[in-house]
Amino acid sequence: MSGFTASNSRIQVVETVSSVDQTVFDTNDDMPHIVATTFLSGQTVDFSNLTQTQNFWFYDPCAFYYTYFVWQTHPFYGAYEAVQVTECTGAPLFEYSVDAREYSSETTIADLPVDEDGNVVDIDFVVVQATGVRTLAGKDPRFNQALPTTVPPKTFSFQGSVLLESSGKANGDSWLRRIMSVYKSGTKLKMKVQESTASLVRGAINAPFPYVSSSRSTYSFSLKVFFGKFRQ
Amino acid sequence: MAVVLSITPTRFQASGSKLDSQRRYIRKVASGADFKFVTGQNMDVAGGGLRYVDPDGNNNDDGVYSGSFTGAAGIGVKV
Repeated sequence: MSGFTASNSRIQVVETVSSVDQTVFDTNDDMPHIVATTFLSGQTVDFSNLTQTQNFWFYDPCAFYYTYFVWQTHPFYGAYEAVQVTECTGAPLFEYSVDAREYSSETTIADLPVDEDGNVVDIDFVVVQATGVRTLAGKDPRFNQALPTTVPPKTFSFQGSVLLESSGKANGDSWLRRIMSVYKSGTKLKMKVQESTASLVRGAINAPFPYVSSSRSTYSFSLKVFFGKFRQ
Repeated sequence: MAVVLSITPTRFQASGSKLDSQRRYIRKVASGADFKFVTGQNMDVAGGGLRYVDPDGNNNDDGVYSGSFTGAAGIGVKV
């Protein structure tokens, strides 16, 4: 039966739905609530340009052909004539690969809130409401097109981590991931930016990745952070 | 005028209906959660791949991930 009880140490509200009592509110339960909010503007994220390496593939003894003419006497007719001669010259062949790289950067972006006595509140969770823009759209090193980003153009909320950019090989396997995380660590609020790149081999000889030096991406975020607890 | 306090056999309201028995307040539960609050980092990257740790604490890899990140399960709440 729906009811309300109050005592010195407890307030409880019960709602009866289809003959089933459901607890609506109970101070004996751990109920999530927001203890503080902070606004952090101008949070920048910077993924630097990828790099590539020229790798020796093999030495082709006849990489290039060339022709020339020589004048000589025909062995049967005795005529003096120009005869075409084809010869070749060798050269080393190279292939190129994007260098594998693991990057991680953790920064403190805020202190956790404090209570009226100045003691740090031991929060249980963080909800982040983010508004961001990609200020520099890095290109896929293979193509003249920006790396796909998953950051929506409007405000979005997340807890924990969010995927910023990714790219795949021709077979669909991931080779690049760029993520951002916001979380509590001790008495601080941290932001961690991570990038992981697998080696990517270009399927062409003597042709470097044309846009590897344009693969840097930058973001600017404004973060509204909600610090939450389950119990006071 | 806002309801200061109203108690009927089928409904309870207080503080201008900020507390209302017809609303669904969420609360932490040990089991039978309707959804979970994430409490920390829940993605990691390594080897060009990604690991996503879902709110139940399960690792979800993309087949490329080569790291060893361990995320925590979220805190379950009941509606």
